Amino acid sequence: MAVRVEFENNNEIGVFAKLTNAYALVAIGGSENFYSVFEAELADTIPVIHTSIAGCRIIGRMCVANKNGILVPNTTTDEELQHLRNSLPDSVKVQRVEERLSALGNVIVCNDYVALVHPDLDKETEEILSDVLQVEVFRQTVASNVLVGSYCALSNRGGLVHPRTSIQDQDELSSLLQVPLVAGTINRGSEVIGGGMVVNDWSAFCGLTTTSTEISVVESVFKLNDATPAAITNEMRASLIESLS
Amino acid sequence: MVLYNFRKITTVPTAKDFVNIVLSRTQRKTPTVVHKHYKISRIRQFYMRKVKYTQQTIHDRLSMIIQEFPKLDDVHPFYADLLNVLYDKDHFKLALGQLNTARHLVDNVAKDYVRMLKFGDSLYRCKTLKRAALGRMATIMKRQSPNLQYLEQVRQHLSRVPTIDPYTRTILITGFPNVGKSSFINKITRADVEVQPYAFTTKSLYVGHTDYKYLRWQVIDTPGILDHPLEERNVIEMQAITALAHLRACILYFVDLSEQCGHSIEEQVQLYESIKPLFVNKPLLVVLSKSDVAKLSDLPPDRREAFKPFEQEGVPLLEMSSLTGEGVMEVKTEACETLLAFRVDQKLKTKKVEGVLNRLHVAMPAQRDGKARPPCIPEKVLEKKNEMEVESVRRKLEKEIEEEMGHEYILDLKKNYDMPDDYKYDKVPEFWNGHNLMDFMDPDILEKFEKLVQEEELRIESGMYAVPKFELDETMKEIKELARRIYDKKRINHQVRRVTKPKSMIIMPRHTSAKARERSVSRLRDEFENLGVDMSDTKNANFTQTRRSRSVNRPLLKRARSASAGASAEGRSRSASKGRVLSVAPTKRLRVDTLGKPRSVSRAPRDEMGVKDVQMKEKLRIAAKKAISKKVNKQGLKGEADRFIGTKMPKHLFSGKRGIGKTQRR
Repeated sequence: MAVRVEFENNNEIGVFAKLTNAYALVAIGGSENFYSVFEAELADTIPVIHTSIAGCRIIGRMCVANKNGILVPNTTTDEELQHLRNSLPDSVKVQRVEERLSALGNVIVCNDYVALVHPDLDKETEEILSDVLQVEVFRQTVASNVLVGSYCALSNRGGLVHPRTSIQDQDELSSLLQVPLVAGTINRGSEVIGGGMVVNDWSAFCGLTTTSTEISVVESVFKLNDATPAAITNEMRASLIESLS
Repeated sequence: MVLYNFRKITTVPTAKDFVNIVLSRTQRKTPTVVHKHYKISRIRQFYMRKVKYTQQTIHDRLSMIIQEFPKLDDVHPFYADLLNVLYDKDHFKLALGQLNTARHLVDNVAKDYVRMLKFGDSLYRCKTLKRAALGRMATIMKRQSPNLQYLEQVRQHLSRVPTIDPYTRTILITGFPNVGKSSFINKITRADVEVQPYAFTTKSLYVGHTDYKYLRWQVIDTPGILDHPLEERNVIEMQAITALAHLRACILYFVDLSEQCGHSIEEQVQLYESIKPLFVNKPLLVVLSKSDVAKLSDLPPDRREAFKPFEQEGVPLLEMSSLTGEGVMEVKTEACETLLAFRVDQKLKTKKVEGVLNRLHVAMPAQRDGKARPPCIPEKVLEKKNEMEVESVRRKLEKEIEEEMGHEYILDLKKNYDMPDDYKYDKVPEFWNGHNLMDFMDPDILEKFEKLVQEEELRIESGMYAVPKFELDETMKEIKELARRIYDKKRINHQVRRVTKPKSMIIMPRHTSAKARERSVSRLRDEFENLGVDMSDTKNANFTQTRRSRSVNRPLLKRARSASAGASAEGRSRSASKGRVLSVAPTKRLRVDTLGKPRSVSRAPRDEMGVKDVQMKEKLRIAAKKAISKKVNKQGLKGEADRFIGTKMPKHLFSGKRGIGKTQRR
């Protein structure tokens, strides 16, 4: 199921939330409307945690996380770190990293097995990343954008990438990540996939303006309903051509 | 995306209103005061400005009207034809053309009169020229009255024409009047088209929207058309023809099998034949409506012959009943699918699709290694999915709590901590005694703590903290008891003193002297001796010795008394002498003249009055100095005697107009 949601009149919900298979992080907003959408959907199964990182609400762009662990930038305060530690299950490792590119969510995208990182990321960060999150790390770009985290959304079952990613690039990335990939948009044509949506293996959340075509692509590629990614090339092909051109 | 918005055209005023608007605007926006003694260039300029401003206003307003109405050559041919049908293209163009001419005329009039105004030699002449100019402009505009009226009507009608996007996915419904076209559109969209059992209920185009396959579809209901030559068609039919001719849509041709519409099947097929040229290159479906009344299978075979042309062309026939809803969705699906396939086919031939081909591709991973990467979905999620139907107890959402509590709501971050409930709200300071606690975090802190507790228990057991007892002997006990009593008594005294303490000190006036003490040992002795008591053996008697210092510093007596005592003053000594008048000795030796008579004693200076001794005098001097300096410093004075007044005569108190003899200020 993909759910449409907005954060204080803002559609870029990937900025204000982080979703993994073991927990979900949600920014502290003016009201609980945003949090409660996640809470209603997920709280029965995984903890949904209010948090800020380095005093910011843009937690989705600041941290990188999967079910094994979470990396936060060095600007994170001790109090926030303690709060995360207290809230997260013991199986999740929390680690603060000294990285120059401190918006880790923008420069790293990962699922529970593989991660794509910005080509200029520190060697140390890369090591910490593979240790804490237990992932294989690849330095790559998405549609020649270095901010792989912004232009890509990834789960263990599929991935959505920047709409201008060429077919060769898609195939290459797909082989690295070992999940099916589709190029697409979110939030009525936005290219910033990572900023516009969050996804895990059984649920997805995207901005309120996302069109039904975009939602159906998301649901098929992340296998959220019974559809498979192949549906995009078969049943939905005509609608896609019709709506895109 | 709206391509054409005819609703935004501004109102076209009538000629009378137009002139009023322009003239009042000129009046409001240009200067109104001019005098004949002004320089002539200024007067000319004043009137030129009026003429020019009026011209400019008329020009702008006319331009706006001409601009806002759709230009028939620029809009989509569908709209151009529709406008032609509805409002007559020639009339429309003529009206706009005449407005354009009027605009030029006004410009020319203004130009002429401004030129003439340059030669105006008096205010009166200039004014007359201005009047003439404005009058001519008004006349020109008045002549445009019918055009403006016509354009206003067009505007009003145009704003009610439904917004049709000629480029989008469109399903177009057509057929004879009364065959069930409007019923069908009401079924599949939310357009509320009037349905009545007589012909030409629908008199114009209606638009509804429906969803299919994640896309929006525009459905257009057209008025019914009759089978006669194009030249004889009326405006209502022509709208339908225009839509059929110009919109690249999927066409649903409705045929009423029951013939309730008043036209036989043959007639309906005949109409199809005659308007067939309009269907070229468009997906087409023939819908057999009112299937609840008559079905194709029920028709006798000779009548079915009529459908031969459809079968020959391979046009699909679909049966449907808007009344029972049978077949409606099939018709919609079929229409959408046909149109979608058609449009996609067309698009694939263009270059546009190449840009999105990468988005139609699903990159499937090539196996990289033998490692399995299964999705990590918690058991609970799967369970929940299976129990979808079972309504479990819904948890109370944070949002609901927030709504309930209103302004008192405070987000509780610790509520969902992953730890036992009694630990959740423990206060852990971030800093303690200047140390960051996180730096001292120890993974085995609990073990160490346990160890310390055990050690402590051992120590307690071994009696390390037992207090040794020691015995007190009798004397110590007595001392202790006494000490306790002394302590108690002191406390009591202290408190009694506090309670009985006089509210304020008794103030002794400066000119009175302290009362002299009358009792003394020497007096006692004297008096007793006078009474005949032998006091010789009282050397060791326990008379308390009066302190010497007191007698020395005995204050002065009043003058009269000291004078009377003066006689025996020289004999003032401690040694008792017989017959001596006992009195308090003055502190000072009285001055006596040569005859031994005391001189009068002058009053002590004020600063020595009531002052006991030198120390006291010094103390008082310092106190006085302090008090004075406090007052002086506070007011910024130079000294005690400073009585400075800054301004002797403040201006505001002493100035005012009193020219006409009023004494009141201001």
